[in-house]
Amino acid sequence: MSLVDLDLTPFRLSLQVGLLATALCLLVGVPLAWWTARAHPLVSGVISSLVLLPLLLPPTVVGYYLLYLLGRQSGAGRFLMDGLGLRLVFTWQGAAVAAAVVALPLFVRTAQAGFEQIDEDVLRVARTLAPPWRVFLRVVLPLAWPALVAATLIAFARAAGEFGATVMVAGNIPGRTQTAPTAIYDAVQAGNSAQANRLAAVFLAYGLALLVALAYVARPRRR
Amino acid sequence: MLELDIERRFPGFHLRVRLAVHHELVVLFGHSGSGKSLTLRAIAGLLRPDRGRILIDGRPVFDAAAGVDLPPRLRRVGFVPQHYALFPHLTVRENIAFGLHGLPRHERERRVAELVALLGLVGLEGRRPPEISGGQAQRVALARALAPRPRLLLLDEPFSALDSAIRVTLRRELARLRRELDLTIVFVTHDLREAYNLADRIAVFDAGRVLQVDDREAVFHRPACRRVAELTEVRNIWRGVVTEATAEHVTVQTPRFALRAAAGPSQPGQRVDVCIRPERVILLRPERHPAEALRDTALAAEIVSEEAHGAAHTLFFRLPGADEVPYDVEVDLPSHPYEVLGVRTRRVWTLVFPRAAVHVMPAADGEGDASA
Repeated sequence: MSLVDLDLTPFRLSLQVGLLATALCLLVGVPLAWWTARAHPLVSGVISSLVLLPLLLPPTVVGYYLLYLLGRQSGAGRFLMDGLGLRLVFTWQGAAVAAAVVALPLFVRTAQAGFEQIDEDVLRVARTLAPPWRVFLRVVLPLAWPALVAATLIAFARAAGEFGATVMVAGNIPGRTQTAPTAIYDAVQAGNSAQANRLAAVFLAYGLALLVALAYVARPRRR
Repeated sequence: MLELDIERRFPGFHLRVRLAVHHELVVLFGHSGSGKSLTLRAIAGLLRPDRGRILIDGRPVFDAAAGVDLPPRLRRVGFVPQHYALFPHLTVRENIAFGLHGLPRHERERRVAELVALLGLVGLEGRRPPEISGGQAQRVALARALAPRPRLLLLDEPFSALDSAIRVTLRRELARLRRELDLTIVFVTHDLREAYNLADRIAVFDAGRVLQVDDREAVFHRPACRRVAELTEVRNIWRGVVTEATAEHVTVQTPRFALRAAAGPSQPGQRVDVCIRPERVILLRPERHPAEALRDTALAAEIVSEEAHGAAHTLFFRLPGADEVPYDVEVDLPSHPYEVLGVRTRRVWTLVFPRAAVHVMPAADGEGDASA
C-alpha cells in the first residue's frame, strides 16, 4: 500500500471546486466587504449579518436550499439552464457554487477587517487627489492586501474541504462530482480504512501547509 | 475665492455655516466638536451638506438646489489632515506624486523635485513614512497637497500632533510658503495662539455655528458676544446694565462695580456683557495714583491668589467688601514687570481698566443669538 495507488481524481475535483469557489468569493466578496466596511452602520450591519447566515446553518441546509434554487423547480434555476445554458445541479461547478456560499462569510469577515483598519483620513486625502478607481487600486488594495490574502486562503480551505453543501447540490458521482471529502466518507462507509487513511493524510498535510501560509501572511511587519 | 452657505443635520448636531474667504488665510477656530473640521470636509467634497452652496473661484462645486456636487478631486483643493495620513506603503516621492497621475512622466518628476526642494525634503525621496519624523511627515503631507497646484489649501489641525518646537518651525514655514506660492488657506485649529499667529481673519465656531468672522484683532479685542469672549480666553466677563452713554464713554454697572468703556452704540438701561482681557488691566501703586484722578475706571483690589507660568503670572484680585466671591478680576502680568513692581510682596493695588480695552457686548439671553 502506498500513495501511488491513490486515485487522485477526488483531489483534482476538490481543487477545481476550491479554486472556482474562491474565484466566486473574490468576485462577490471584495466589493461586498469594501462596501459594508464603509457603509452606514445600519446597512452594513444588516448585510454582514445576512452574509453570516450560511456560517450558522448546517451546510446540508444551505445545500438543500441551493439544490432547490439552482434546479428546475425554481425560476432562477430555469433561467440559468434555459437562459444561460448553465447546468449546476449534479456538476462540480454546482459544487463550487455551494462551496462558495459556505465560504463567503469567512471571506467577507476577514476582508472587511482588512478594509476597516485603513485610516479614514488616508482615504479622504486620496479622494481629493485621484479618481475612485485609482484610490481603490493604489491605496485600498495595497493596504488591505494581507487581509485579502488571508481571506482568500481561508475561503479556499473552507471551499475545497466542503462536504455537506456540495454533496447536496452535486451528489457523490465518482469521477465527476466526488470530491476528496466525499471520497473519504465513502471509503469509511465501505470499510476501506486504508483508503480513508491515505486520503485523510493528504488533507492533513494540506491543512498544515495552509496554516504555515496564513502565519506567513499575518506575520508582524514594520509599519 | 471661497463662498459657502451650507447646512447639515446629524443626530444631536446641526451644522450651519456661512463664510466667505478671500485671498487670505482664514482660521476656523473652536473647540473640538464645534463643526470646523466638518466644514473643511464639506469644502473638500468629503462631506455632503443637506442644503446650500459652495463656490470656489465663483464656480459652484456644490449646489444642493441645482444638483451640483463635484467629486473631491475635481474641486482643486489641497487637503492636509491632522495626522499627516501619508500613504504608508508609498515612498515620499510616490506620496507627493500621487495627485499628478494625469501629467506626462517628465513633468511629474519635475514637479515632485520642485516640491521636494521647496519643503526641504531632499534626500528623503526614497524613504517610506515609517522611516521619517513627524515634522518631515507633515512636510510631505503639505507637498502632496500642493503638488497639483490647488486653488485652495485646507489644513485640519495640521500641527497639533507635533512637539511645540517643530510646531513653531512649521508655522513659520507655512507663512513662507503662503507668501511664495500666493496661497489661499483655510486652517482649522483649536489652539488660540496658533489661530492668532497665523490668521488674517478668524471664524469662531461654536456648536455647529459661526459666531463671529473678523480680523484677528477684532476677534481678540472686540468679541461679538459673551461666548466668543469665553472662547478667546478674555476671562474677565461681567453681566451688567448700561447706566450712562455719552459721546466720550459708556458706563456699565456690574453687580460689584461700575466700569467705563469707550463710547459705543449702547443705550442706558440696556443689559449687556462687559469684558476686558487679563493682559490689558494695568497695575498701579495706590499711593502714587489716587483713583479719583484717573479718567478710566480705577479700583482698589487685593491679590487673593496667583499662578506662575514661567514667562508670566496670573494674578487673582478681589475688591474690598465681599469675601464670599473667590475673586473679581484676573490679570496676566509678564515676569519682568512682576519682579520690577515687587508684586510678590505688595498685595494691594489699584487696577486700571483703560476704556479702550473695556468692551461692551449685547447680553446673550439664550435666544436672539449672533449667528453668522
